[in-house]
Amino acid sequence: MGHIKLTNVTKSFGAVDVLHDINLEIKDGEFVVFVGPSGCGKSTLLRMIAGLEKPTGGELAIDGKVVNDVPAADRGLAMVFQSYALYPHMSVRQNLAFGLENTRMPKVEIAERIGEAARMLEIEPYLERRPGQLSGGQRQRVAIGRAIVRRPVAFLLDEPLSNLDAELRGSTRAELAALHARLSATMIYVTHDQVEAMTLADRIVVLRAGRIEQIGTPLELYNRPANRFVAGFIGSPHMNFLEGTLEASGSDRAVATLKGGHRLEVPMAGGAVAAGSPITLGVRPQHITLDAGENSIPAKIRLVEALGSETVLHADVAGQKVLVVAPGQHDLAPGADIRLSLAAAPIHLFNDRGLRLERAV
Amino acid sequence: MKANVPRRSGSGLGEAAMVPVRLVMGAVDAPLRWVQRRLGIGGMATFFLLPNMLIFGIFVLLPFFINFAYSMTGGTALFLPDRTFVGTEQYARLFDCVNYADPNSCTEDTFWTAVGNTAWFVLLQVSLMILFSLVTALILNRDLMARSFWRAVFFFPVLLSPVVVGLIWKWILQRQGLLNFGLYSLGLEPHTWLNDRNWSFAATVGVSIWAHMGFYTLILLAGLQAIPKDLYEAAEMDGTRPARAFWRITLPLLMPNLLVVVVLVLIRAVQIFDEVYVLTGGGPGTSTLYLTQYIYETGFATQLRNPGLAAAASILMGVVLVILTLVQLGLGRKGENKGARK
Ligand SMILES: Nc1ncnc2c1ncn2[C@@H]1O[C@H](COP(=O)(O)OP(=O)(O)OP(=O)(O)O)[C@@H](O)[C@H]1O
Ligand SMILES: [Mg+2]
Repeated sequence: MGHIKLTNVTKSFGAVDVLHDINLEIKDGEFVVFVGPSGCGKSTLLRMIAGLEKPTGGELAIDGKVVNDVPAADRGLAMVFQSYALYPHMSVRQNLAFGLENTRMPKVEIAERIGEAARMLEIEPYLERRPGQLSGGQRQRVAIGRAIVRRPVAFLLDEPLSNLDAELRGSTRAELAALHARLSATMIYVTHDQVEAMTLADRIVVLRAGRIEQIGTPLELYNRPANRFVAGFIGSPHMNFLEGTLEASGSDRAVATLKGGHRLEVPMAGGAVAAGSPITLGVRPQHITLDAGENSIPAKIRLVEALGSETVLHADVAGQKVLVVAPGQHDLAPGADIRLSLAAAPIHLFNDRGLRLERAV
Repeated sequence: MKANVPRRSGSGLGEAAMVPVRLVMGAVDAPLRWVQRRLGIGGMATFFLLPNMLIFGIFVLLPFFINFAYSMTGGTALFLPDRTFVGTEQYARLFDCVNYADPNSCTEDTFWTAVGNTAWFVLLQVSLMILFSLVTALILNRDLMARSFWRAVFFFPVLLSPVVVGLIWKWILQRQGLLNFGLYSLGLEPHTWLNDRNWSFAATVGVSIWAHMGFYTLILLAGLQAIPKDLYEAAEMDGTRPARAFWRITLPLLMPNLLVVVVLVLIRAVQIFDEVYVLTGGGPGTSTLYLTQYIYETGFATQLRNPGLAAAASILMGVVLVILTLVQLGLGRKGENKGARK
């Protein structure tokens, strides 16, 4: 029930290769989120699982059965479209019933399922209205309802919240999480909003330019990003990257020289990278403190954004931009010289190809 | 504040283009202000509509009333002042029938023949036209090879003048025409298509469909393309069979366009004249004599021309067209309301 496996799946539109060698296993009942920048192939991947696009190569299996040539309708999946794709000339009730009527299901059971879904999604008062007479949020519920009544083995959702305003998006996100817990069905969810990804997912699949960059739980991705791209994509505001060279490496500590000559101690096993290699340090804005203590570097403030609960500082470290999110309020002005301490920060190290360098511990 | 300051900067070309505009604006500004002072703001709407209303009045309304006046007169004289007032006599003559289904029992038998022919023509031509243009639009809406080429092919006849259409098909269908030449070359029996009552009727239906189908196909195609693709994808996910998707999704969403097409096709079918006049001339006999041709010949082209009778017949035809249009618009509106309430 709802176990989906992709093996070496590729997809091309004519001469354009959109997806390369996708290997992915989604467990039954799992909430998996595809994230990535626009055009990276998230929708294409989802539509291929749905059966709306045919894989160019590789194998797609649902519950152990290869479905490459199985029509969409026979895969037991339901899809929620970004545009909702509700039939504008039918009432909400007819929209919900339409798919079920194809299966020659008895009228009584159709009515029962609609009633149940309508209750669950609180759309009972609108059942006789048409989509045009509903608000965006209500339409979105109807779209989800149309998937629920089918009782699919897996739900496929393509940016279902992107047409809602920020507040509604927040509350609907929570409802979706609750719905997943209640239905315990597999859900595959496409978004380019990393907050949605972090909050909803059991596992996140980060895609870039048609390739999977990393698969992992939200915290795995946050704490141990496999490469610079994932490190920069997950977390808000984005991780700071400082370019430098590895100076000398001891047994468990190493020293890096940043562009501009400042030296920083970084945690790294000796011998992982030869001395003199270019290296990138990644530090999240929340992990930098405004201290002059050990492992600190001088910086000049460019811009101060006081948000009340926290202060966002745009600083300049010898020509490299650094963002700092400092809790509380700080009396700082642009132009001021400060010191930023990385003593308490988890420092991520990436080699010149952007791959993560493992730490000693 | 800023909006009032004329923009001095900007590209030289744009400035140059504005010069004549400024000149005209400057010239009409003062007189228009004077008119507005006299008429008030509300009166300006009437003032601006006046030229259009004048043209409409002279070329549409006035002829309509003159035509109505003609229909109340008798005789063969061409100019209205020379004609004698006969009241509703012309209408009475048109309606003087023992049995309306049998033109021979009527005083004005050709009128009723034309009415009968036109009715059959409309029935057949409108339904086939809708059917063919819908099917063509559905096919052209698919991802087929050289789609824009096919679209052009179907639209091309629309660009031809009706007289050219009539001539082309006359060359094809006449006794020594292309079709018979083809049949003869294949060793088949040639046929005098346009001298055969049924064939020439079929030819008028077919040729008029061929000539105008592209236009309606285009309207329907636009409607089809306005239907979001993901509706069909949602239907596909639900295992909807193509026939059901057509009846439950495509057709209802295409209805507004379809209704426009039906109204246009119907009106043009009732008015059919040019290509048929060139192709068959109404013949053989009166087998393809339609209303407009009857009106034209009665009024202008016979020895004993009778403009009054022709005018009366055209008024009747106008009434029928107005009724048909109102019924259709009413049906459309009813459908909309029903949909909205649902
Ligand atoms: N039918 C198609 N024909 C050709 N190229 C396509 C087609 N569909 C998608 N593509 C290309 O495939 C790539 C991936 O598209 P896709 O829609 O999967 O991106 P996405 O990750 O969903 O982006 P977004 O976040 O903007 O929705 C894009 O470069 C797109 O141009
Ligand atoms: Mg997409």
